[in-house]
Amino acid sequence: MAEETLLSDDFLRQLMGVGEVDLLVGVPSHNDAQTIGATVAVIEESFRQSFTRDRVAIVNVDGGSRDGTSEAVLKSVVETHPSLRGLTSLRTIHRVSTRYQGGPSPGIAVKSILAAADLVRAKACAVISPHSANVDTNWIKNLLQPSYRDEFDFVAPLYSRHKFEGLLARNLLYPMTRATFGRGIRELHSTEFGFSGKLATQCLGQDVWREEPVRKSPEIWMVISAMTSGLKCCQSFLGPKVQTAAASGTDIVAAVRETVGALFWCLESQQEFWTGVNAPEAIPTFGSDHELTTGASRINRKRIFELFQKGVKDLEPILKTILSDETHTEIERIALLDEKNCRLGNELWVKVVFEFAAAYHHNVMNRDHLLQALVPLYRGRIYSFIAEHQTSTPDEVEADTEKLCLEFIRQKPYLLEKWNAK
Amino acid sequence: MKQLIVQGLQQAYQNLVHMISVFLPRLVAMLLIMLVGLFVALLLKYLLRLILRFTQLNRLSEQSGASQVLRNAALPTISELLTRSLFWVTWLAFTLVGISILGIPELHEQLSRLFQLLPEVFVAILILFVGVLAANFLSRAALLAAVNAGVRSPRVWSGSTRFVILILAISMALEQIGLANQTVTAAFSIVFGALMLAVAIAFGLGGRDLARQTLERYLGDNKRRDREKEKEEEPSPL
Repeated sequence: MAEETLLSDDFLRQLMGVGEVDLLVGVPSHNDAQTIGATVAVIEESFRQSFTRDRVAIVNVDGGSRDGTSEAVLKSVVETHPSLRGLTSLRTIHRVSTRYQGGPSPGIAVKSILAAADLVRAKACAVISPHSANVDTNWIKNLLQPSYRDEFDFVAPLYSRHKFEGLLARNLLYPMTRATFGRGIRELHSTEFGFSGKLATQCLGQDVWREEPVRKSPEIWMVISAMTSGLKCCQSFLGPKVQTAAASGTDIVAAVRETVGALFWCLESQQEFWTGVNAPEAIPTFGSDHELTTGASRINRKRIFELFQKGVKDLEPILKTILSDETHTEIERIALLDEKNCRLGNELWVKVVFEFAAAYHHNVMNRDHLLQALVPLYRGRIYSFIAEHQTSTPDEVEADTEKLCLEFIRQKPYLLEKWNAK
Repeated sequence: MKQLIVQGLQQAYQNLVHMISVFLPRLVAMLLIMLVGLFVALLLKYLLRLILRFTQLNRLSEQSGASQVLRNAALPTISELLTRSLFWVTWLAFTLVGISILGIPELHEQLSRLFQLLPEVFVAILILFVGVLAANFLSRAALLAAVNAGVRSPRVWSGSTRFVILILAISMALEQIGLANQTVTAAFSIVFGALMLAVAIAFGLGGRDLARQTLERYLGDNKRRDREKEKEEEPSPL
């Protein structure tokens, strides 16, 4: 199957030189020469520590770097920690690097890694981003072990986070996936994840790689594809995550377009599955289920509030075509309140999200425009969340997240009603 | 005298009978052609409606906002509009062919002119329709981008986008049917030039500081600082 895909002759030659492997770690890159060497070194160190007897390979797929990223991958030197002196891998650790055409694309990068995994018949694989500044050997081990030893097909990461980080995941992606697909993945969108060779082969055979949501957020589609195929999914705790300077400050609009767009697209393409899911199931988790920190944060709440208010006012004609009259009236009422009293509560937020999902399904307008129209309302939601949890402890935040999940589950019939309406 | 009058009347009667005998078959032929045209037009309308039902035209129209424009103008859906247009164009064509059989040269000439103008009018309407679609789509994109970026007066940006595209579409449509070519081109140049000049003056004089900041942001090495600022203002979504 891999031979039919986008593997270049040179890449194929390199992979044939590697032969069959047990474990494969893919590193997608684009102009990451400064950080990728350290990432590759950590991966090799992890192989040396935890997978001494296994056949392993590191595959770098590059989106056209001009700063010598590929060279940095192939030439980076691994310095063994003094405490590990004498511990060496019994097998050769192969490093392979290839470049794909058409500029950086997460979809093409992941597809290339899947094709490589399929070709070398890897049993367990992981994807690691060079943008994560604090990758350590445990990350690699924790992402590979569940697939390799316990036969899980998808391993989602869990990070230790500040309570006001990852709010899109906490307020939408996680609770909605749990309510609709019946399994809650906390980090649905992540640049690090693990998967089995079986899932790689299955995903590679799907004719979805030209779809925009899959090209932008392939991991969301992969995990949902694993769930709907009855494959085993789990979560594995990695610890705190620090982004490199180049990757920090993620744009809210881009994040909503990519991740919510991918989730809505999956809802549509897998509707036979999720419309039949009744009771959500717990997902096995390795390590801590969640870990929140509560240090000081630099957030301009006033600006978020203003963007919400102005957004609701200026986008009135667009929101009217997406939301029901009742929901739109309520949103407008809230947007007129002052900072102290303005709260977009769980019940209304779930209604908003479900009505947007149904509008996406019914094509009431260009889908990209529809997703962009959700941004001001998401700002209203995070403003409420931040205001509510300014002094909350991690347990209180977690309890509130659980309440939101239950509200999503309670209102699932409403989503079905809107979804099936003509 | 009496005989002359009778002869004149007989001549007039014969002429009338002759004219009627010549005109009546033509009239019947015209009516027959119109009737056949009606059947053909109805058949084509039915076939096109069937074809459009299988295409995604109405969905595309909803997505691009064209349906909203049509609803606002109290017009039917895009596929209904197309089927009705096909019906009327077909039937009109048959009617014109029928009228030409009547053999009235002046009427025939006028109708020929109208017939020659029809494709131009059709193309002009098409240009206008595409223009309205583009104006609607791009003005909505501008509105969303401006609102989400926190730009002041996003509706002004959106309205300006719609206005410029509509002016362009109208001028192109009028040029297509050859109506006041030079006037339309000149009017468009004046409106567009004035608009750009107004923007340039407003931005250059009224917003010198904003211009400097914008140039600094794009040309200077301030991207990292901006990113830091954004990070300070909004929490990371992922």
